[in-house]
Amino acid sequence: MKALEIHNLVKIFKTKKGQSVHALNDLSFDVMQGEVFGFLGPNGAGKSTTIKTLVGLITPSSGNALINGVPVSTGTARLKVGYLPENPAFYDYLTPEEYLTYVARSFLVPVAEVPRCIEQTLKLLELWDARKRQMRSFSKGMVQRVGLAQVLVHDPDIYILDEPMSGLDPLGRSLVKNIILELKNRGKTVFFSTHITDDVEKVCDRVGIIVKGSLVAVNNVENLLKGGVEGYLVSLQSADSTLQNLAPFSVLRQSGTIFEYYIPKDGFNRFMELVIRSGSEVVLVETRRKNLEDYFLSLVK
Amino acid sequence: MGGTKRHILSFCLFCLCYGLILGPFVNYMHNKPYAEKLGVLPTIATLKFLSADQKLLIGSSLVMRVITYFGGLAEMAKNKIEIPPDFPVMSRTIHAAVKLDPYNNDAYYFAQSFLVWDVGQIDIANSLLIEGMRYRTWDWYLPYFVGFNYAYFKHDFKSAAYYYQKAAELSGQELHINLAGRFMQESGQIDHAISYLTLMAKDASNPVAKKTFETRLTAFKQVSLIEKARDRFTLKYNRLPESVDELVRTGLLDKTPSDPYGGTFFLLPDGKVGTSSKFAFKNPKGNRPDSGATP
Amino acid sequence: MLNHFEITFKSIIRDRIFHGIIFSALIFLLIPSVATLSMRQATELSMTLSLSLISFILLLLSLFLGGTHLWRDIERRYTYPVLSWPSSRSAYLVGKFSGIAAFIFLVALLLGGVAVLTVLITAGIYPPERPIVWNLFFLSIFFDACKYILIVAFAFLFSSVATSFFLPVFGSICIYFVGNASQQVHDYINAPATIGISSITKNMATFVYYILPNFSAFDFKINAVYRVPIQVSGVLMTGVYFVVYLCMVISVATLLFEKREMN
Ligand SMILES: Nc1ncnc2c1ncn2[C@@H]1O[C@H](COP(=O)(O)OP(=O)(O)OP(=O)(O)O)[C@@H](O)[C@H]1O
Ligand SMILES: [Mg+2]
Repeated sequence: MKALEIHNLVKIFKTKKGQSVHALNDLSFDVMQGEVFGFLGPNGAGKSTTIKTLVGLITPSSGNALINGVPVSTGTARLKVGYLPENPAFYDYLTPEEYLTYVARSFLVPVAEVPRCIEQTLKLLELWDARKRQMRSFSKGMVQRVGLAQVLVHDPDIYILDEPMSGLDPLGRSLVKNIILELKNRGKTVFFSTHITDDVEKVCDRVGIIVKGSLVAVNNVENLLKGGVEGYLVSLQSADSTLQNLAPFSVLRQSGTIFEYYIPKDGFNRFMELVIRSGSEVVLVETRRKNLEDYFLSLVK
Repeated sequence: MGGTKRHILSFCLFCLCYGLILGPFVNYMHNKPYAEKLGVLPTIATLKFLSADQKLLIGSSLVMRVITYFGGLAEMAKNKIEIPPDFPVMSRTIHAAVKLDPYNNDAYYFAQSFLVWDVGQIDIANSLLIEGMRYRTWDWYLPYFVGFNYAYFKHDFKSAAYYYQKAAELSGQELHINLAGRFMQESGQIDHAISYLTLMAKDASNPVAKKTFETRLTAFKQVSLIEKARDRFTLKYNRLPESVDELVRTGLLDKTPSDPYGGTFFLLPDGKVGTSSKFAFKNPKGNRPDSGATP
Repeated sequence: MLNHFEITFKSIIRDRIFHGIIFSALIFLLIPSVATLSMRQATELSMTLSLSLISFILLLLSLFLGGTHLWRDIERRYTYPVLSWPSSRSAYLVGKFSGIAAFIFLVALLLGGVAVLTVLITAGIYPPERPIVWNLFFLSIFFDACKYILIVAFAFLFSSVATSFFLPVFGSICIYFVGNASQQVHDYINAPATIGISSITKNMATFVYYILPNFSAFDFKINAVYRVPIQVSGVLMTGVYFVVYLCMVISVATLLFEKREMN
């Protein structure tokens, strides 16, 4: 079943000076139910425009979009949707607790369950201690966390997130990744935009790449990475004199007595033989996989 | 830290400067002629537009301005500073005020207090009051004022009787009808004025107005005393007295009556009582049509 | 909708500018002493001043709340999440508007109470010639509040298309003046004494008069201050006019707001 359908979406913005900006050119794709879909694209590609169209904030110049088969122009289409805007802002004179109550009531969460839902989400996003503080005193990352909280609090089926990781510290990023994975396990649909390929690799089932308002590729992340291991990054600790033994392989980087080598997949066994013979000590071996970033960059250029 | 100190220092310096100019400034503002403060008035149409839904407020504030202006003049006159009052502007301001708030009692009252006595614009005052009667339909003061003006200033006893009748109907008091009857004789004039002023002074709540009325009342009572003495003199000696002093000398007056306006009373050749103050604290030329004599 | 209403209410109460405006209600303390300046109508003057102060505070509130509230929500992008919720945009707008309207009524009621005290104090010192008619006094305050709610509605109408606060704030100030003058201008143009106005101008002026709000209808200050009785039909007429005109303005506002792009 399709959770989101986008058909031939075109959006032309008119600027105040009368110029027109083609933000979306005949964009079409679907997101399946229970799928985590990453929406990747450079700045100004049209990701936010697509997402705003999906949640009814802007009307497309032509084409249409459906949520669970219902046109987005109907308000009730969004009853089971959680939306996180990019760089979100919330009524700063409210506390997170009050704001989430407002959200939960608007999504018709049964009154009796509201406090429990709020407690759960606030604790999950580590905002519990700040729940009674007005949001005007919040840091950027805290506001982003409130943004995630207001998406999660009413437990929707479809999550539409515009750059959910932006403004978060590493702990927060990994938290968000875990949350998305958890949602996926519970069979929820997640559609999120990002510039960061690594995020997509870690959590997405599929990825769509948008450039200048057109979709240039939709791919299964697993397929993309199936090529698997391309090579290895090996760090050795050794004295300069022993390095001649490894002559066929060139040093990638050196710091002190640590030497780093990039070894293609088929040369690994031979390299390891030489290492053992030279008496160097292996400090670290990292696998080098086929990279989504390279793929992305090749598409964009 | 040094920066903070410097700031505090310069602040103190400014405070000092302020303290220095404050005295002269306040003094200047205090002596600034009131006429200037009354200022110019926009046209009534503009006023109406600008005052939007605050017409009553603007109307009241115009009246207040005139009252304080006038009060200030009286104050200065006492201190022997003579500033010619700008009667045309006062009159225009009162007119604008009743255009904004046709019910404003203060405006009518004030018009009656100064337009008639000090400016002598009886017709203007009466037309204002008669216009006001269309709105303040319950208020007997307005026809009473009009009646008084007709009788006392214009000697039009027929019109006076008509308005006194109206006042009597509204107030339910016979007083005004009686009054109307009394003005038929000219000799009753000063008593008429006294009874009018007594009433006005009695229910004036504004101290300035009360004071104005009381002063005039005191003066008129003195005039009345002199007139009574004069009449007794005429009866006794069969001629008019030559001066107020003569009345005192013959024992018909206890002592020389003093004019609260600071003038001295004298007798005119026809026997009428006059005063050098002309019943006013100040006497700017051309602004007072009254002679020094009572009517 | 009730939800939006509640949040709006909260936001007003927590607003500093609102606190400042309410602070100006302290001027009520001055009224009894200012009223003594009057020569013959101290009570009337204190009523005038009280009603004017209420009007003034309500005007500030309506301009400030109406002019900035919706606009600020859009400007600060608070609307992004909120408008993506299932409730419709019109519910959001109407909820917000009724929050402000209810607030204005509440403030009018509170200030009305204070005004009654003020007038009673003055009347205690300088008993009025004729008894005060409190019904008229409250009626006047009520319709005053209605008038300012109409101004809020206009501010919302302007906010629903505006990209800066100039239009909502200055637009509603214009509406305030125009609405108060419309009847006057109409009367002037149609007075028999007025000559030299072509019939085309007259018809156009009449047409504009029909469209513009007529705030003179809401002005019962004279009746309240000088106890001039009002006909019941007049009160009903004004009430009906208020409701119908308000619905009209708000419906245009929602229409424009529904169509508006959020970006
Ligand atoms: N209101 C607007 N008026 C005119 N042009 C607009 C408007 N909003 C967006 N655009 C243009 O549409 C294009 C797509 O913008 P969009 O915000 O969707 O990009 P994005 O992919 O989200 O970029 P980013 O990664 O920086 O968030 C841009 O070229 C932008 O300039
Ligand atoms: Mg974006």
